[in-house]
Amino acid sequence: MSIEVLLERLDQYSTNEAIVHNGQVFSYHELQTFIAQWSDSLAKNQILSGTVVAVIGDYSLDAIALMIALIDNKNIILPLTSLAKSHFIEYFEIAHTQFVIDLTQTPHHITQQPSNPLQNELMQQLIEMQHPGLILFTSGSTGQPKAVVHDFEKLLKKFINAKKQYRSLVFLMFDHIAGIDTYFYALYSGGTMVFPASRASKQVCQLIEKYKVEVLPASPTFLNLLLLSGEYLKYDLTSLKIITFGSERMPEPLLKRLNDVFDGVRLVQKYGITELGAPPSKAMEDDALWLKIDSPQYQSRIVDGTLHIKTDTAMLGYLNAPSPFTQDGWFDTGDQVEVDGDYVRILGRASELINVGGEKVHPVEVEEVIQMMEGVEDVIASGLFNQITGALVQIHVKLSTNETRSQFRQRMRNFCEDKLPRYKVPQKVTVVQESLHGERFKKIRR
Amino acid sequence: MHDQIVDIIIREVEEVNKKLPNRVPVELRNNAPLFGTDGALDSIGLVTLLVAIEQSVEDDFDSPLTLADERAMSQKNSPYQTIGTLAKYIESLLGGSHG
Repeated sequence: MSIEVLLERLDQYSTNEAIVHNGQVFSYHELQTFIAQWSDSLAKNQILSGTVVAVIGDYSLDAIALMIALIDNKNIILPLTSLAKSHFIEYFEIAHTQFVIDLTQTPHHITQQPSNPLQNELMQQLIEMQHPGLILFTSGSTGQPKAVVHDFEKLLKKFINAKKQYRSLVFLMFDHIAGIDTYFYALYSGGTMVFPASRASKQVCQLIEKYKVEVLPASPTFLNLLLLSGEYLKYDLTSLKIITFGSERMPEPLLKRLNDVFDGVRLVQKYGITELGAPPSKAMEDDALWLKIDSPQYQSRIVDGTLHIKTDTAMLGYLNAPSPFTQDGWFDTGDQVEVDGDYVRILGRASELINVGGEKVHPVEVEEVIQMMEGVEDVIASGLFNQITGALVQIHVKLSTNETRSQFRQRMRNFCEDKLPRYKVPQKVTVVQESLHGERFKKIRR
Repeated sequence: MHDQIVDIIIREVEEVNKKLPNRVPVELRNNAPLFGTDGALDSIGLVTLLVAIEQSVEDDFDSPLTLADERAMSQKNSPYQTIGTLAKYIESLLGGSHG
């Protein structure tokens, strides 16, 4: 079983540094002590195997120890961060939550609530198999959030091969598949996880310098802010070996700037979806934007320009929505791709496509061009309903210049002339003062 | 007010003209055909022009304006025929109370 392998590895790594948080360094041995304390606490509170437990918190020694103790105890786990606070009641209900462990309170707060997960067929499956489970919510741009249920045992299997010990900044969200992927890779390989107290550029750069961080997994939005902030110039970041990026499309000009600034650092794209986990992938030589899924456990195919994936480690299904899998187990990722042999390049979400009079426009290709303009700090493109062409392209742009909207629009049109076909040139421009990304460092399309 | 609106339209048409294979003859002022039988604009050109005018009018008159909506589409005579018809339509939307 995957969890037994992990527990053996923790023993094996006991003198390695496991976690750096708030200036303190904890070894794998200390992590083991915390896991044991949490296992005791679960027993004392009669949190039995098969019960559904929500964990509210962010990265900390306690949070990681508790996650491992819960997996070992075969619980079904719903990790949450305070950012989702307004959804908690709804999430607890959808996930049939029986216990809530709130790590943001001191002392930690454990509450029980009446619920019966056996009402749900997928939960019943997990409980009968005596496998630990993982529930993640996908935000989705429209409609009710969907609760994804994973068999944690299956999800962890791929980490058994994790060998390379890195010092990683664990930056991606605690309740997100990419965050989970980062910290389990570190745990299985005996690497060191550095937890930031905030996700501000300055703090991130300080930590990289101080703790000689080698791997920085981030989102393109964060990396753009990092360059804009100029903080990277003030710190010694030469320990960095790899920057991974994912969760939204990387604009080409940004990738180029990152390559220039972080000379010698490998920029690696990670592709992951809440429903499937993150398949191991390989980038095309010289172009990180093209990748191929490189694992016997994952099959892929392209249908109408959209990527479909089939894998044994996929989620069991949604708790509150019909199964999205085809009869023979394929999952439509909703990601539009360009294909070159075995390699694909992610163009964007099919649902974000803007249809201008029958012509398809990906918001990101517009953003890529506008972002190259002098004085553009950040930009988001989206579709806007229009009576004549069905939709038009609009942008919300944050500027560092004092231009009026019409001055900027004129400059933008001239700039786009030889870079975009006419129907892709933004027609409506809104200049904004506030930032264009959420607290999750992902662009918010309107 | 009519002249001020015509000036805005001409300014924006000149912008759009730069990207058009067949330019709109702005020198005809009110009589310059925009969209329709004799018009040089295609649908994307028209949308681009309308949105640019909307934003300019908003900036100059401090009044929100929508030129491509059900109301415009259902006019007996299309307001998009010439610079003159479009200016008149905008004037009617602004209610003549500005300028």
